[in-house]
Amino acid sequence: MSFVLVQVIVGGLLLGAVYALFSSGLTLVWGMMNVVNFAHGDFVMLGMYVAFVVYTVLGGGPLIGAPLAMLVLATLGVIVYFALIRDIMKGPMLAQILGTFGLALLLRYSVFWYFGSNFNTLPSNLVGGTIDLFGIRIEASRLLAGVVALVVTLALHLLLTRTALGSKMLAVSEDSTAAQLMGIRPDTMQAIAWAIAAGATGIAGALIATFYYIVPTVGETLGIVAFVTVSLGGFGSVPGALVAGLLIGVIESLSGYLISAVYKDVVVYAMFLGFLWFRPQGLMGKM
Amino acid sequence: MRRAIWLSVALALVIAYPLLFSTPFQQRLGALVLLYAIAASAWNIVGGYAGQVSVGHVVFFGCGAYAAMAVYHHLQLSPLVGIPVGIVVAVGIAAVIGVPTLRLSGHYFSMATIAVAELARLIVINIEFLGAAVGLSGPPVPRNVFDVSFISALPYYYLFLIILIITLGITWWMTESRMGFYLRAIRDSERAARSLGAPASRTKLYAFMLSAGFTSVAGALYAMMFGFVDPESGLGILLSVKMLIMAALGGAGLLFGPLVGAAILVPLEEISNNWLGGKGAGLTFVLYGAIIVLIARFQPGGLLELVYRLVAKFRKAPEEVAAQGDKRAP
Amino acid sequence: MKFKHMLGLLSAAAMSLALTSGALAQQTVKIGAIFPFSGNAASAGNHAKAAIEVAMDIINNDHPELGDFPLAKGAGLPGLGGAKVEVVFADNQGSPATGQNQALRLITEEKVVALTGAYQSGVTLTVSQITEKYGIPLVNGESVAAGLTERGFKWFFRTTPVASDFARDYYDFLTDMKAAGAKVDSVALVHDNTEYGTSVANTITAAFKAKGMANIIDVAYPANATDIQSQVLQLKEKKPDVVIMITYTSDAILFAKTMQAQDYKPPMLLADDAGYSDPSFLKAAGNISVGAFNRSSWSVGKPGSPTAIIAKMYKDKSGDEMDDTAGRQMTGFLVLMEAINRAGSTDPAKIQAALKATDLKPDQLVLGYKGVKFDEKGQNILASGFIIQLQDGQNYVAVWPKATAEKPPVMPYKGW
Repeated sequence: MSFVLVQVIVGGLLLGAVYALFSSGLTLVWGMMNVVNFAHGDFVMLGMYVAFVVYTVLGGGPLIGAPLAMLVLATLGVIVYFALIRDIMKGPMLAQILGTFGLALLLRYSVFWYFGSNFNTLPSNLVGGTIDLFGIRIEASRLLAGVVALVVTLALHLLLTRTALGSKMLAVSEDSTAAQLMGIRPDTMQAIAWAIAAGATGIAGALIATFYYIVPTVGETLGIVAFVTVSLGGFGSVPGALVAGLLIGVIESLSGYLISAVYKDVVVYAMFLGFLWFRPQGLMGKM
Repeated sequence: MRRAIWLSVALALVIAYPLLFSTPFQQRLGALVLLYAIAASAWNIVGGYAGQVSVGHVVFFGCGAYAAMAVYHHLQLSPLVGIPVGIVVAVGIAAVIGVPTLRLSGHYFSMATIAVAELARLIVINIEFLGAAVGLSGPPVPRNVFDVSFISALPYYYLFLIILIITLGITWWMTESRMGFYLRAIRDSERAARSLGAPASRTKLYAFMLSAGFTSVAGALYAMMFGFVDPESGLGILLSVKMLIMAALGGAGLLFGPLVGAAILVPLEEISNNWLGGKGAGLTFVLYGAIIVLIARFQPGGLLELVYRLVAKFRKAPEEVAAQGDKRAP
Repeated sequence: MKFKHMLGLLSAAAMSLALTSGALAQQTVKIGAIFPFSGNAASAGNHAKAAIEVAMDIINNDHPELGDFPLAKGAGLPGLGGAKVEVVFADNQGSPATGQNQALRLITEEKVVALTGAYQSGVTLTVSQITEKYGIPLVNGESVAAGLTERGFKWFFRTTPVASDFARDYYDFLTDMKAAGAKVDSVALVHDNTEYGTSVANTITAAFKAKGMANIIDVAYPANATDIQSQVLQLKEKKPDVVIMITYTSDAILFAKTMQAQDYKPPMLLADDAGYSDPSFLKAAGNISVGAFNRSSWSVGKPGSPTAIIAKMYKDKSGDEMDDTAGRQMTGFLVLMEAINRAGSTDPAKIQAALKATDLKPDQLVLGYKGVKFDEKGQNILASGFIIQLQDGQNYVAVWPKATAEKPPVMPYKGW
């Protein structure tokens, strides 16, 4: 009994790490620019398709897929920033929702049009099968995603807190005009932030593709999870997203096992709402 | 005066539409535009005027839709009886969730409302009384006119039109009242509004409840027209987003913004689906998405705002017109 | 009363409109097909489209190689002087509202004489309300919600077996397996909480309990789950003898992968069609689901048989293997066309009468039904299925009942 419980918790942590991984990009742009990206789930989906193409064309695994997805998505991020975000950022929040929701449909159904509606997967042995650790079974692909989640979170956190680039980016997000007076170009900084955020999302997609199914509409499912993770963690807080992701993963896994799977999301949303009541700024967010 | 003339001309056109465009599909399209305009206008009360971007309005829509179907399903009553039931439930829910969530600002409020909507859907999907995952359907064959199940869209069209006029009338009355003044002040700066003595929390809550009530009516009308509601169609998050984008597209916070948004988006959606949907390549949504992106990018304040701007330019009297305005482009 | 009168008048007007335009459109019979071509179920919709296009090819062109298969010989519909079939496809986007709008458009603008579709039971329900009001036949080949044929509709016909039919088949199959030495005392029903999953699971539970099979474990989960490890662990702990999987493709893939990761193999895995029949599932997780039983009414049959030829035509068209879902949709469409041909007319009332008189034999069908014959509710009373097994991890073979089996069933479940 308790043995199974450990497996449930381990599974929850691994799931949570994945949630954290694909939420880190969202929290970055949300926190820094106050932009809600409704197309975030579809960025993850694009990362998954990059990994899928890498596998079908080159036969390569995530070692090639993830960096390539990062590059492709980072490029896309910069394009999206200059073509759309830069302008809608100045508008009301509604225009942001409108613009990014339209973008989500555009991306989702362009992929749909090109790749079709079939479900695809990568072979389950692409990342070395399953590890048996004293009877606790861990899929190598999920473990890899979990480890990368930690690395990406740490890297983003260090980038924001310890580097000159990070300070400049934060300066822009705090007060764009003041930053400009100090000779920082907000446009460049924000484009870089989008590149980093989209790139991280690309990595996430490429890794999730190794154990999840790949279909154009997958972003819908993942997008909402990312939203909840980011708001629970606090907008803009990269470590917050990690903690929130892990928390949601474990709660989902435990409630799915102990109560009933059909109520596990009910538990998560109820907890999230209750939490907002006590701490409206999220786990690690600033007010 | 001029405004009154324009309004009457527009109203006459709207009344004449189903007679001028009289094929069943065109009439139904007209009815759908009005239906979504009711929902989006209701959303506009809290989302546009008060600036509280709710992404959970589908909860109230679902209240109405489920109430209309449930009174028929369980009590064999006319679905019309569901309208007041739905309003009461929706306003009650709005009061309960409004108190905690309206304290939240900006994105947190939006996120909390998304969570509420998802929570509602996930709970209803397990409630046998509400048909669980199967959903509830209306009378398969209409027993009498009170079952609001017609073969022609014409009765729906005029029913929806009357309700839309009531919705817009009350919204207009609200904006002209003290409450509207408070709401605009809150939208511009809640802190400033509070410091000037506006009862921000109470005003927002009233707006939320009013908005919920009208959204619920839209839901009930939807269920009557389509004769069915299930968790996905009555409580799916996409519908919340739809209300929001219609309002935003036309012009949030403008009286006729949601109507203009619906008049553009609903035909766009239906006609592009007629045209491209059968090809099975998802091109409908590529087109739809692209158009939304372009509008957000080039006209973030909504299309009606653009019209007002053009009209103002034309008349060279900007201040007067930009604030309020006519219904459609001349 | 007055209203009913008006209703009748209006539908008569619509009908006569449909008729006159039918006569003008040089010998084509226009049929509407509503399926999900976008959204979560788009994969099923696109397969349905390919299936119907193959059926159109069979009808519209001469196919002597199909022998006596209905409508294969000669080009077009012989009953209407060789008229060709034209199908107008419409996307329901998975939404009951959109489905209904499209049904109205197909009837009033495209002037179709009959409809088929619409996959999701909720959409089929709203579509059937329109066809009923307009008096246009709707033949459904794939929606399984029991309530659809319980509404007293006159224009709705359904060819597919429904949950109570599956439940009976499963019970008989398990009884036979028990006689052959398999342990089938405890059964776990793994199902999502959609309309499909819940209704099928409830029907099976009721049917099994009525027959004295009391040990049933219910494992429900939310559809399109991000993770189902907890459910697999529950199964692993409770050790049921039989696991019945009632899942769509996305979750079926996740289950197969997670069961492998958790090293869980039930002694017997029996799938309820849907996800486990999807060719995408076989491609993605077939090799880790070896030995899975599945319900199906589709079987390729011997080389050279009509079904084998049709399977090949389908594969050439869609790039995927023919499966039960596509076969059921094709059957719904072909049954409709056979009735129109027999009616010798595109008058909806005559088509309706012909549908009511339908009596097709097993060798006239793509699927392994015992035939097609509608009861007064519009339900096909001869719909049935057999049990197939994924013995090589790539293709299913029929294993039950014995009469139609290609190979004997292999126990236990092998997995990977």
